[in-house]
Amino acid sequence: MTATARHVGPLLEVKGLRTQFFTQDGVVKAVDDVTFEIGHGQTLGVVGESGCGKSITSLSVMRLIDRPGKIVAGEILLNGDNLLAMKEDAMRDVRGDQVSMIFQEPMTSLNPVYTCGDQIAEAVQQHTAVSRREAWDRAVEMLRIVGIPDAKRRATEHPHQLSGGMRQRVMIAMALSTDPDLLIADEPTTALDVTIQAQILEVMRDLREKNRMAIMLITHDLGVVAEMADEVVVMYAGKVVERADVRTVFGSPHHPYTKGLLLSIPRLDERVERLEVIKGTVPSPLNLPSGCLFKRRCPYRMRVCDTAPPYQEVQPGHFSRCWLTPAGEPPDVGADAEGPEAEQAADALTVAPR
Amino acid sequence: MANRSEVVSADIERRRREEAEADSAEIDRTPVRTYWQLVRGRFLQNRLAVFGLGVIGVLALYAIIIPSVTDEAWRTTQLFRDDAPPELFTEDGKFVFAVLGYNENGVNLFARLAKATQTSLLIGLAAVAIIMGIGIFIGSIAGYVGGWIDNILMRVVDIVLSLPGLFVILMITAFFGAGNVWVIIFAIGLTGWTTAARLLRAEFLSLREVDYVQAARALGAPPQRIILRHMLPPAMAPIVVAATLGIADSVVVEASLSFLGFGLGGESASLGTMLQGALSYFFSGPLKVIYPGVVLILIVLAASFLGDGLRDALDPRQRVEAK
Repeated sequence: MTATARHVGPLLEVKGLRTQFFTQDGVVKAVDDVTFEIGHGQTLGVVGESGCGKSITSLSVMRLIDRPGKIVAGEILLNGDNLLAMKEDAMRDVRGDQVSMIFQEPMTSLNPVYTCGDQIAEAVQQHTAVSRREAWDRAVEMLRIVGIPDAKRRATEHPHQLSGGMRQRVMIAMALSTDPDLLIADEPTTALDVTIQAQILEVMRDLREKNRMAIMLITHDLGVVAEMADEVVVMYAGKVVERADVRTVFGSPHHPYTKGLLLSIPRLDERVERLEVIKGTVPSPLNLPSGCLFKRRCPYRMRVCDTAPPYQEVQPGHFSRCWLTPAGEPPDVGADAEGPEAEQAADALTVAPR
Repeated sequence: MANRSEVVSADIERRRREEAEADSAEIDRTPVRTYWQLVRGRFLQNRLAVFGLGVIGVLALYAIIIPSVTDEAWRTTQLFRDDAPPELFTEDGKFVFAVLGYNENGVNLFARLAKATQTSLLIGLAAVAIIMGIGIFIGSIAGYVGGWIDNILMRVVDIVLSLPGLFVILMITAFFGAGNVWVIIFAIGLTGWTTAARLLRAEFLSLREVDYVQAARALGAPPQRIILRHMLPPAMAPIVVAATLGIADSVVVEASLSFLGFGLGGESASLGTMLQGALSYFFSGPLKVIYPGVVLILIVLAASFLGDGLRDALDPRQRVEAK
């Protein structure tokens, strides 16, 4: 992008985003009041279990939500322009040009009947006024940049002739062929084996530095986050439960869910009998508990958890949606109350039996 | 930090260069077969399909060449040659190509059959072109856009489908004047597109969710490009089959129309008019019924064999079996 009128401030700001699906069984609040921002050249990791709204958040940013889904509230500002207020035509110019996306499944995200070079060239021609020939050259160049050997020949091959890792590189090449400001990577390494994972991450990191491109990295792999991200957003049942820079999230997490996630990573440097798991399952989005959404699975559960917890700033830049005090203590609720209220407050402090 | 990353990227750069050098030296260069080479391979392995293509080809050549060679013979009546036996030359040494003999009006049957085949094939192809045009347009819009537009279009399909086709065609030909080839083509096209539309819509509904279509949307491709480049080609297999079967269908519909006397008039020759004309002589000259009947059967059979073969050949998931 040319820096003619560069917007001051973060590249992408998502404010109070709500995406809901209107199904026959009721309204599913897939993304509920999500707020975050990504600065130029920054990497944001979005973490959470399956079904917590990570992918829907990214699809909302691209405005690719299909019926019965709908973005019902919020703002998505890219360089200060609200994407949600844009006409579909203008949005199409944003997609692929300013914001690109790579998908989880490299196996099926490429059209099997066209050659890889063809598909990249198509993306190039979509956004820049170049000839067929130039677009093709650009495609070959991009394949070379993402580290595909013998790029010239590979460009003439069909997706089924490439391995999974190569296909993911082709996807990355396609997404980056137009020099986007923001790359949304939806679980880019989940379908790949570990050695290929490392290579793909290396390619992404390398290109991020060269192009000063921001990345929104969606994953449930905390290892990938630790390696790539500057800031982390932890999502649970459609809400952001914790948001902080990567060191804080791994070093001193506040929300019990984040703690649980970290405890459930197998570690090679410690010997433990059994891996900690977060008990229970994610609540059905059609039947969310009142109050804190995590309370049924939370080891710190208190009476106060029946009312929705505040989204508090426990440290500067570190947000958490939990009743626990910034120090991690149970909150001092109604301490100066009297009579039955005081009793209630005392009750609230005790951990309720499961 | 910056220092480290510079070192890292320099390292990556160097490794890539080495890899590239090594690769260009010893890369497996087995020949890559293109999609169309694969299609041809698969098609040629299917004997029935090749047979169908051959029959259609021969009939087409017959229908194009013979009428142009024999000139007006297909409708020239000759007073003293009624039901004359087959001959190649007349008594005065003129080459006439009457290998099937003459009909009750002394018309060269071989030439007339060629003209009739020409008319029927023309009707089949043109009607299918209309059918596919409407069907693909309606089907792809319904399948891609979905929602209430899809609902309305599919109800229109239901309505067209619920009308008895032959009677609608009869009405149209009665209204616009029977006997005109293009009216018949138009009538068949207007009633026959529903199957193609439904097939394509069904294909599109599933293709819309396919990852590479989503990926194309995420890269900012406009709908018409997504439809034409990423959704129509993989949906073509059933459409091609429907089209080839549609040729056979249209030929049969035209024949039935003409047979009922609502198609082309006695002036022009089609398989239907020939059948109808020959019916009165069923017992005295059964061959006059059999000739156009056989051609009709051949067209229908060959078209469906061809359709099956094309469907298998066009499917990109199939591979050529090793012998």
